[in-house]
Amino acid sequence: MRTRELFFWVMISSGIVIMAFILLPMIQLMTAPSFSMLGKTIKDADVLRAIWLSVYTSGLAALIAFVLGTPLAYLLSRAKFRGKGIIESVIDLPIVIPHPVVGIAILSIAGRNHWVGRVLAELGIRIMGSVTGIVTVLTFVGLPFYINAAREGFESVPPRLERVSRSLGASMVSTFFRITFPLAGRSILAGGVMCLARAVSEFGAVVIIAYHPMIAPVMIYERFEAYGLKYSQPVAFWLVLLCLVLFLVLRMLTLYRKRGR
Amino acid sequence: MKRMGIVTLFVITMVFLFFQFGFAEKQEIERKTVRKTVIIFHAGSLSVPFEEMEKRFEENHPGIDIQREAGGSTKCARKIADLGKPCDIMASADYKVIDKLLIPDYADWNIRFATNQLVLCFTDTSRHAEEVNTQNWHEILREPGIVWGHSDPNLDPCGYRSLMVLQLAEKYYGIPGLYDELIANRPSENVRPKSVDLISLLQTGNMDYAWEYRSVGVQHGLRFVTLPDEINLGSYRFDDLYDTAVVKVAGKEPDTFMEIRGKSVTYGITLINDAPNPDDAVLFLNYLLDPDGGLAVLESMGQPPFVPARVPSGDMANMLPDTLKSLIEVRQ
Repeated sequence: MRTRELFFWVMISSGIVIMAFILLPMIQLMTAPSFSMLGKTIKDADVLRAIWLSVYTSGLAALIAFVLGTPLAYLLSRAKFRGKGIIESVIDLPIVIPHPVVGIAILSIAGRNHWVGRVLAELGIRIMGSVTGIVTVLTFVGLPFYINAAREGFESVPPRLERVSRSLGASMVSTFFRITFPLAGRSILAGGVMCLARAVSEFGAVVIIAYHPMIAPVMIYERFEAYGLKYSQPVAFWLVLLCLVLFLVLRMLTLYRKRGR
Repeated sequence: MKRMGIVTLFVITMVFLFFQFGFAEKQEIERKTVRKTVIIFHAGSLSVPFEEMEKRFEENHPGIDIQREAGGSTKCARKIADLGKPCDIMASADYKVIDKLLIPDYADWNIRFATNQLVLCFTDTSRHAEEVNTQNWHEILREPGIVWGHSDPNLDPCGYRSLMVLQLAEKYYGIPGLYDELIANRPSENVRPKSVDLISLLQTGNMDYAWEYRSVGVQHGLRFVTLPDEINLGSYRFDDLYDTAVVKVAGKEPDTFMEIRGKSVTYGITLINDAPNPDDAVLFLNYLLDPDGGLAVLESMGQPPFVPARVPSGDMANMLPDTLKSLIEVRQ
C-alpha cells in the first residue's frame, strides 16, 4: 500500500494540472460574454448561418471520410504488402502539415495553372470561395483521424471470425457487413466523431480556400479583427456549446452501444 | 517492485524536465541580456522593406534583435489596444488607424513617412493579360467569368481603398453606374482578409485580377495596370478629389457603420506608450526615418517616402523623442 500511495498522488496531481490547464481558459471564454450579448449574437442571422455551415460541412467531411475511408482502413488492417508503411505515412501526412500549407497546396492544384484545376473548371466545379472547397479542405484534414481509428477497429476483430463466416458459405461482402463491420462499429463511430471534431476546429486551411462563405471559426476571426474581443467571444461561446452538446450526444451513443453489448 | 520501478522512472523524468526548464529559462535570460528585442507590428504591405531594414539595422546594431509581426493595420492596432500584446513600434498602412485606435491611450504621436498607390495586378495567365490597359480595365472587370477581388474593407485599408478607386473611376471615365456594375461582377467569395492573401490566388490561377498597393505588385514581381493619379489615391495633390469617394465600413460593433473618405495612401508610424524597450525602438526609428537609411530602402521597393517625414502639428512635434525631432518636419 505504501508504495502505491506515492504513485496515486502523482496521478491525482498531474490530473488536476491537466484539468486546470484545459478548463481555465475554456471557463474564461464561456463566462466572459454577457447574457444580452449572447442573446443578440444567437439571433444574428450571419452567426447562425456560419455555425450551421460549420456543422454541415464538417458533417459532410466525416461522411465522405466514412464512405471512402472505410474500405481502405479495412484493407490496411487485413492485407500485408510491401510499401504498406509508406501508405500509412501518406495517410498521416495531413496531420503533420501546417494548416495554411494545406490550403495553399489545394489552391495550387485547383487553379487554372494546373490540369486538375482546368478539368474541374470544365466540369463547372469551383474550389476557391465555395462550399465544395470548404468540404474538400475539411475532408483532407479529417481523413487520417477516421482511417486510423477505423483501421484499429478492424484490427481488433479476429480474422478467425471472418473465416468461420466464409466457411459457412457467406460471401466476402456479407461477411464484412454482418461480422466485421458491426464488431468494429464502435471504433468506426469514434473515428467519425474525431474526424468531425477535427473538421469543426479547422481554421488555417479554410481561410485560404474560402473567406466567404464564412464558417464559424473564420467568422470568429473576422469579428475579432473588425470589432475586437467583445464581439468574437459570443460567437465562440455558441460554437463551443454546440460542439460540446454534439460530442456529448455522440459519446453517449457510443457508451450506450458498449453497455448494450 | 514493478510499481517502485514506475514511480522511480516518473520521478527521474520529472526531475529531468525540471532541470531542462530551468536550463531553458536561463538560456532565455542570457539571450535577452545579450540581444535586446524591439517588437514591431506593421502593415502587411510593409513586410518586404521592413525585412530589408531589419537586416541592415541589425548588422550595425548586433545587440538588438528586431522582431516583426505583419498583419492588417487595424488588426495590429487591436492586438495592442484589446489584447494588450507587448509592442514597441506600430506602423500602419493608413496613418488614420493610429489616430483612431491608439492615440491618446496607447501612443502620443503619429509620423507620416511614406506613400503608395493602388494598382490592378495580374499575371501572364490572367484572362485578357495581353490587352488590359488604363483605358479598358473596367470593361474587363465587368466581363462575366472574369475573377477579380480585393481585400475586406472592414479589416484592411487596402480593401476600402480599392472600393474608393472604383468610385473615383466612375467619375473619371464618366460612366454612370460603373461602380455598381463592377461590384455586381465581384461575388463576395473573391474578398479576402488581407490584400497579400490575393497574391497566391493570382499566382495559382484561381483569380485573374486583384487590387494591390503598387509596392506589393513590385515586390512580388506581378504585372500591373497603373491608373491615372486622379483615381489611384497616390498623390496628395488630388486629396480634394479623393475626398469625394466614401466607403461604409464596420463600426465599433456589428451592424454599425462608419464612413471613411478617400485620402492619399499615407503610412504612419508610432512608438507605443508602454513599449518594453523604448530606447532601442527610438534607435530603430532614427534609422528608419533617415533619408539615407530606411527611407532609401522604401524608395527602392516602390513605396515613395516623405523626405523628411512629417507630423501634422507643432504640438505633436514637441512630444517626439529628442533624437527624432531633427528628422521630422511639421506639415499638414
